[in-house]
Amino acid sequence: MRKRTAAAVVLIAASLVAATAAARSVHSTAPKEVTAPTKLTVWAGWSAGHELKVFKAVVAEYDRKHPEVTINVVGGIDDNKIVAAIRSGTAPDVVSSFNSYNVGNYCGSGGWIDLAPLMKKDNIDASMFPSAPRYYTQYEGKRCALPLLADDYGLYYNKKLFKAAGITHPPKTLSELAADAKKLTVRDKSGNIKIAGFDPVVGFYENTPDRWIQAFGAKWLNAKGNSAIGSDPGWAKWAKWMKSLIDWYGYDKLVRFQAQPIDEFTPSQAFETGKLAMNFDGEWRVAFIHNEHPDLDYGTAPMPVDDAHPDLYGSGYINGTIIGIPRGVKHQDQAWALVKYLTTADHPLAVLSNGLRNVPTTQSSLNSKEIVPDAHFSTFLKIFAHPKSGTSPILASGQAYTNSVQRFFQQWQAGKVKDLNAGLKNLAKQLDAQVAQAKGGGGVP
Amino acid sequence: MSQQVVAGTAGATAPAVLLRTAARRRADWRRRRLVLLLMSPWILGFSVFFGYPLVMSAYLSFNHYDLLSSPRWVGWANYHYLLRVDPQTWVAVRNTVWIICVAVPLQVLFAFGIAMLLARAKSGAGFFRTVFYLPALAPPVAATLGFVYILNPATGPLNTILGKLGIQGPLWFQSPHWSKPALVGLGLWGIGNTMVIFLAAVLDVPQHLYESAELDGAGPLQRLRWVTLPSVSPVILFAVVLGVIQGLQYFTQAYVAASIASGQASQAGDTLNALGYPEDSTLFYPVLLYQHGFNDFQMGYASSMAMLLLLVSFAVTLVIVLNSRKWVHQAVPR
Amino acid sequence: MLAVANHSLLIAAAIAFLAPFGFIVLTSLMTTNQALSAHLWPHPFRLRNFIDVFTTAPLWRWTLNTMLYSCLATIGVLVSSVPVAYALARLRWRGRDFAFLVVLIALMLPPQVSVVPLYVMWAKLHLVGTLWPLIIPNWLGDAFSIFLLRQFFLTIPEDYLDAARVDGCGELRILFTVVTRLAKPAIAAVALFSFLYTFNDFFLPLLYVGENSHNWVLSIGLAQFRSLHQVQWNLTMAATLLVMAPVIVLFFLAQRAFVEGVTLTGVKG
Repeated sequence: MRKRTAAAVVLIAASLVAATAAARSVHSTAPKEVTAPTKLTVWAGWSAGHELKVFKAVVAEYDRKHPEVTINVVGGIDDNKIVAAIRSGTAPDVVSSFNSYNVGNYCGSGGWIDLAPLMKKDNIDASMFPSAPRYYTQYEGKRCALPLLADDYGLYYNKKLFKAAGITHPPKTLSELAADAKKLTVRDKSGNIKIAGFDPVVGFYENTPDRWIQAFGAKWLNAKGNSAIGSDPGWAKWAKWMKSLIDWYGYDKLVRFQAQPIDEFTPSQAFETGKLAMNFDGEWRVAFIHNEHPDLDYGTAPMPVDDAHPDLYGSGYINGTIIGIPRGVKHQDQAWALVKYLTTADHPLAVLSNGLRNVPTTQSSLNSKEIVPDAHFSTFLKIFAHPKSGTSPILASGQAYTNSVQRFFQQWQAGKVKDLNAGLKNLAKQLDAQVAQAKGGGGVP
Repeated sequence: MSQQVVAGTAGATAPAVLLRTAARRRADWRRRRLVLLLMSPWILGFSVFFGYPLVMSAYLSFNHYDLLSSPRWVGWANYHYLLRVDPQTWVAVRNTVWIICVAVPLQVLFAFGIAMLLARAKSGAGFFRTVFYLPALAPPVAATLGFVYILNPATGPLNTILGKLGIQGPLWFQSPHWSKPALVGLGLWGIGNTMVIFLAAVLDVPQHLYESAELDGAGPLQRLRWVTLPSVSPVILFAVVLGVIQGLQYFTQAYVAASIASGQASQAGDTLNALGYPEDSTLFYPVLLYQHGFNDFQMGYASSMAMLLLLVSFAVTLVIVLNSRKWVHQAVPR
Repeated sequence: MLAVANHSLLIAAAIAFLAPFGFIVLTSLMTTNQALSAHLWPHPFRLRNFIDVFTTAPLWRWTLNTMLYSCLATIGVLVSSVPVAYALARLRWRGRDFAFLVVLIALMLPPQVSVVPLYVMWAKLHLVGTLWPLIIPNWLGDAFSIFLLRQFFLTIPEDYLDAARVDGCGELRILFTVVTRLAKPAIAAVALFSFLYTFNDFFLPLLYVGENSHNWVLSIGLAQFRSLHQVQWNLTMAATLLVMAPVIVLFFLAQRAFVEGVTLTGVKG
């Protein structure tokens, strides 16, 4: 009995080990021939609907023209995965991320390699990229990323609902926005929101502090490089504006409205289905609406701005996808060739722009004849080119600072902060401490 | 082994004694070698997976380390930031304390209560026992997903049913006030393991103790207090210790619930602010540790958090174990 | 009277316990749109969901990975914990009580305490992204299993072992033949618990294979399922059911072992 069980255990163990080995060998690379193409892996953030398909198609085109490489595209990547992969030494050949917040970490730690020598070798000058993307792909002079199409943000409004409410043009100032939102809101019998005119809750869809603060022209950092959240009056002004509108709706009512199945990157998104009359969104929404709800009667306009700063109207917040090469990559030359192609050649940028409706990130591709004109999308091209458009700072604390700021305003909008000014000053101190700690210090400077 | 020694001692002469000592030493050596052989997996395992990490954690907690560059010594800076500056630390501590102080007593009470009901059941005890045990088998991720769906404020079955009864259901995982209670509910659903142990203990109580209590004029409540409870007190202690240990490690359900619920409410796509959703109400200490160590680039800082957790776990288990004799009625030998 | 109240409470509790399962099953049979609405009953019944789950997500690969992890880990736990428990229970040696205390301490330690340096170690060994950091520690003893087995071994009467010794059996042979046979229920319980624990494990797989979707286990895949298929709650619930199913089936097949095992932990623990 015991011999049999022992033998059985050994057999099971052996077969399992064999199965693992077999499984692994099935997944291992092709037999090593001299002429085998180099395998490259590209990680990208796109995953929703049409977006990953568009990117894969562009990469496939490059793949066909370059038989010496075969490229595998993996979508749905976020920064956590990139960080984990770099740290465990299993990073792919090319990585891209949807936002620039971690550039400080990537460049500062060398997690993404310095691209400057590669650019110099191929005579690529950073000035071919517009100023905002040029800024958010480097940190303290070290350029470890290049921009791969940019995003900017503006106002989407439902023309049918506007007509029904008698509103003739999209709001230009924030007070107009609040007034229009109230006019457009429809509630049901129990007071719950059926159609929301506008949802200003931080954390909903694309509502984040860095995108909003553009409308007030408020600064993130003062001249010394410390946080200006406690000192620049724009922050408090936005906070008060946002809270007054939220209080008009009732914070709980808005949360309940948001709890419906109106997920952002699905066809049931609230603006696309007419549940939300006006929405603050990125330029990519044009493509989503085109693919999912082409009959929607809507318009696009720049984001309304602070009544006291009418000169800011027409500008917006800019950020975008960045792409780079992780440390320790084996096929650096081929990886760089692909990165160079994607970021500097007009053709892929134009195709991606048409498919994703993102903004091309070189001066020449912006004017490329391949770009299919679109009335809705052209608003965003204008916002991108506006001199007052801006982006958020790249800090050593990476995405942690955006999380902290967002967390503070989420507590504020829920009514948990009693003294706004004291809270903002405290937040500024925390952000500075965060930066110091990220740099390897640890306390309040 | 003892037999050999005993056999050797009887009627010994001097050279026999020497032989015996040598034999005994050889036996001792063989025994030690055997013990070493048998204990070797654990010795190795403990050194590599407990001893080494503890020492290394302590070391890393005094460094700034992001795994991309080498560790940089910062002294007490991490601890200072943890205890004085990080606004989320005390939120996480409070949440963990809350879940331990609320969930553990509730779970013990609930498990004991159901066990009592089952013990008294005349018919269908086996069926009911299966019903109550089944949810404990559900993998935590699956159970959490199920609960987040069922407790969806807008379209979930629970709020739909409540709506039919005229009650507007709360926002559950979308509300900072209801998210932890919802997690406690999830924990109570999975009470099966503890319940089965209580059941065994309750059924084990000798019938004659009840009978003599009844003869003394004790009513049902008094029988519970003076017969049942003391008899199951070891199990109560076991459940409390287990509950506290689990509470200090509470991660999976909070992580999954927060990420699903926040994605549902359309969190702005790129910032990964989901952990602790909503408003840090589900931010427990292990969750925060994970966030700092593996989402931000702060492994040294996470190590300082780990050291604090170690201290607290140690202190708590020490308190419970030292006081166990006071609280647990020593089983009367039968 | 009391019996009736008892019974009605039991029924009420049973309904409360079964209701979540009921809702999950019902939702898994709904269409996508129905799952998004406030309907409680599927209309029509869409059994296809269970097939669709397999095409929308690599459920088979996740299952294979989970089986690999759980089976290899369980075998490892048994192989490494039985000798240790035996040494702690039935052999007398200096430092034995201290060693047992160490086992108890390891039992109480939250895994988060050791997770950072271990991750660093596995990263330096280039094993992050594989299942090995999950499997290997189980081959070097598991505190809970050692504890359980030791408690059980203590109850084995010395007479059995002495009889075997008189017959000339070496200690190792005693262990492998007599003790393991006598301790079958405890060993079965340990195997069951190890399997369940690794099957349900989320934290460690999240850490080590989270970024390599090729090696995802069921718990990770299920947690990520919703983010990949946001609107499709019906498929998510179908996937949830499929993940719960093996464990529940295992329970019904090995019911006695289960209950005995659980009781063992509480009574001897």
